Order: sequence, then structure tokens, then C-alpha cells
Amino acid sequence: MDPSVVLSALVLGISIGSIFLVAALGLAIIYGTAGVINMAHGELIMLGAYTTYTLQTFLGVPFFLCLPLSFCIVALVGIAIERLLIQHLYNRPLDTLLATWGVSLVLMQGVRLIFGSDPKYVQLPAFLSTNLDLGIVNVSVFRIFVVLVAALLVFATWYTFYRTRFGIMVRAVTQNKEMAASFGINSGKTYMLTFAIGAGLAGVAGAMFGGLNIVLPTMGMSYVVEAFLMVVSGGGSLLGTILASGFTGQMQSIFAFIFNDTFARFLIFLMVVIFLRFRPQGLIGSGDTRR
Amino acid sequence: MLLNLQDVSSFYGNTRILRNVTMGVAKGSCLCVLGRNGVGKTTLVKTIMGLTDKIEGEIHLDGADLSASRTDERAKCGIGYIPQGRQILGKFTVRENILLGTFARADESTTIPDICLELFPYLKENLNRRAGLLSGGQQQQLAIARALAVNPQILLLDEPTEGIQPNIVAEIGETLKMLNKELGITLVLTEQHIKVARKLGDEFVMMDNGRVVDSGPIAELTDDVVERHMTV
Repeated sequence: MDPSVVLSALVLGISIGSIFLVAALGLAIIYGTAGVINMAHGELIMLGAYTTYTLQTFLGVPFFLCLPLSFCIVALVGIAIERLLIQHLYNRPLDTLLATWGVSLVLMQGVRLIFGSDPKYVQLPAFLSTNLDLGIVNVSVFRIFVVLVAALLVFATWYTFYRTRFGIMVRAVTQNKEMAASFGINSGKTYMLTFAIGAGLAGVAGAMFGGLNIVLPTMGMSYVVEAFLMVVSGGGSLLGTILASGFTGQMQSIFAFIFNDTFARFLIFLMVVIFLRFRPQGLIGSGDTRR
Repeated sequence: MLLNLQDVSSFYGNTRILRNVTMGVAKGSCLCVLGRNGVGKTTLVKTIMGLTDKIEGEIHLDGADLSASRTDERAKCGIGYIPQGRQILGKFTVRENILLGTFARADESTTIPDICLELFPYLKENLNRRAGLLSGGQQQQLAIARALAVNPQILLLDEPTEGIQPNIVAEIGETLKMLNKELGITLVLTEQHIKVARKLGDEFVMMDNGRVVDSGPIAELTDDVVERHMTV
């Protein structure tokens, strides 16, 4: 077997894994903290892509500035969703599921009404549109950029949740809401900020995915399935999501290399279903009850 | 009075657990809340913290009306809470558990007060240890340190000696006495150990079926009163 082909598959696996990870990160935070299964996550990714498109097209904002702006704008949308809807439905998982599904449909149709159904394009800086020749493998610079941003987002998320007072607040509320309140922590405000961060991360994901693919009102659906698979098979934790994304990305790349892309996706889904049959708590899930 | 409850009833769902409780706790004193299992002692403490579903009546702390306040707002008024079973956050380190208390500080200080670690040298030496790995007695020390990090004017302790080895019970009793008598922190203590109550308490209230059925200075907590209300 040609080693360059194997190496290409591995590099592609890292790239696919990082895309899965970026898509799943916000979902993992919201699910891991508040236990909310946010069916509108894909549409928040889509909003991030449209935000970047709008900022570039109508305001001439450079791509790199669009990333933090997409975070902020989609985080504000997240706050609005949480305050108007989700905060009334905590501890009611089925209702939350249906309500966020409704939100996803509203967002999708709303964007379709405003922007139409024809594809839009996010313009990348010229150097991100080139390929990097590493001798035996040829890699898209933008895919390398996505891997780097994924690493940066993971670090920023870990730092926020494990090295700051806000992180103590969030983890205290997750472990024992009653005790957190007994020591001055407003769980409602904590959930709201966590939802905002999760939504903001979806916005950044969308801004980057707009550079990988065309921007459509339905684009979120194609990412949300993988995002859910990563979060559920990872057990809802940050580390679990990282491991699940990395492993699944590699498997998808290897299967696609051996068979084809469609069959690779089929095999991945099958593997996840079998895995969850024997380990329903996921890779790093503790099986703890949220209090 | 530092803490005043006026005709307070408390509910879980539609079930009334506390019935028209009226009581007061003087500043710097120690009030022992006594009674058999299931008479409403824990509910009384949870009611003061705002952890029941609904209350009727009025609760005042240092003149401020807490009746309609959320739990986090009450904590910020200077209430340190040591719940039954300790409820240490097991996934947190010792340091993170104590830091949790600082979120309720009125002065917004974010550092662990010296007293928390001076009182409990074991905690000082094990700040990075996972709290879930501590023994029951060590967890109780941690619960007290966490409540002290609030810089409380009043400590609510729900059965602090429950499930603790006898030698540690004495140690915890000494610590609480010091906090009350030397530092002037007001204590409200639910207890089933009469010895502990007599050693620490200035006043007592005896509860039965969600009501206060007897109260007075601890000297009036005679064996006869104990037998009448606490023997099964």
C-alpha cells in the first residue's frame, strides 16, 4: 500500500474529526451543563454561516473578524432562545426536545424568507484557499486552519470551565443545583450564560463551515446529526466529545478510503449504535444523576 | 433578634410540612432545634434557606425580609449552610468546594479566608484532593469550612454529627463552640444528640408534627421534656 495514501487518509481523518468536534462542542456544553438536548443546534451553526455571509457581503468585514462576531451574534440569539423558551422547560427533557425542534424550524424558515433558498458563499482569504504540499501529502490550508481553530476552541472551553470562577459556578450547578444556590450561585443566570457560550461556539462553527461548503438554510441538518453522535457517544463530557470526534473522524476517513463516503457514514452510524448498546453512558459518561 | 420566623408554614408541592412556626434567634447565640425523625427539623432549615417549594409567613434576618428572596439571595445575606449529609461536591477538589462558599460573600472577596484552613489543617494539606475521596468526618470539616468561606453572620447546621465517629463528633462540637463563643457566629443547629445540644445550645425549640411544641433556655431541656418529645 502506498504510504502517502495512508498518510493522506490519516490527515483527512484529523480534519474530519476537527469538523465533528467544532460542530459538537457547543452542543456538548449545553447538554453537559443543563441536560438540554438542543435540536436547534444545527440551525445555530447555520445562523453562524449566514452571519458571516452577511457581515462579509453587506459590511465588508474581513473573514477573521467574522469568527468572533459570529460567536457574539449567535450567542445573543442563544440568550434570547434560553430566556424566552428553554428556561421554562428545564427538567422537562421531552418538552425541551420538541420546543427546540420547533425553534430549528422557525430559524430555518426565517432565514429562507430573508435570504431565499439559493446558495450563498463565504469568501475566504486567498491564502486559506490554497493547498500546502508537504511532499507526500497535499493538504488544504483551510482544513489546517479548521484543525487549529478547533484546538483553540477546545483550550478556551477547557480553560473557561476548569480554570475560572465562572467554571466553578457552572460545574457546581451541574453537580448540585440546590447546593450551588445555597452558596450564592444563581443557576438561572448560569444556565443562560452557558447556553450563550454553546450557541456562540455553534456560530463560530457555522462561520468556518461556510468556508468549507455552500451556505444554505438547510445546512445545519447535515452537521447536527454528527454533532449529536459525538456528544452522545462521548458521554456528554468535553473530553468524551474530543475523543469521540477524533476516533470517528479517523474511522470515517479510513472507511471512505477502503469503500466510499456513503458506506463510510453507514458504518460509522452502525458502530455508534452498537457501541451505545453496550455502553449507553458513552465513552467518559459517569452515569451520575443531575441534581 | 438576628433571625425571626413569624407564623411560617412550608410546603413540598401541596403538602404542608411546617405549620405556623414562630421563633427567634438572638445574635451570637446558639439555638438547638430538637425532635424525633420526620418532625420537620430539616424542613425548618431548608425553609430558612428558601429550599422548599412554597412558604407562608415571614422570615427576617437582621431586619431584612427574606420571605420572597431566592436561595442565592438569602445566602448572600450572610447565611452559611451545612446541610444534612454534608452534600459536598464530590467531583470538586477540596479547594473548589471551599471556594464555592466565596460566591456568597457580601464583600465579593474571591480568596479562601484564613480561618477555613487554620481550623482544619487536614484540608490545608489536601487542597487538591478530590472531595469525594474524603472520609465522613473530613467531609464534615469541609462542609463547615465551605460555610465559613461565606463569612457568615449565622450558620445553619442540619444534624452535623450524624454518621460521624464519636471522637470526631467531640472535635466538631469543640469547633462549633469556638465559632459561637469566640467568634460570635450565631448558630441554628438541628440535633438528635442531646449531649451535643446541651453542650452547645443557649436555647432550644422542640418540634413535633411540623410545629414548635416547646421552647426555652437550654437549662429547661430536662430529661422529662426529652422523654416526652424525643423517645419513640
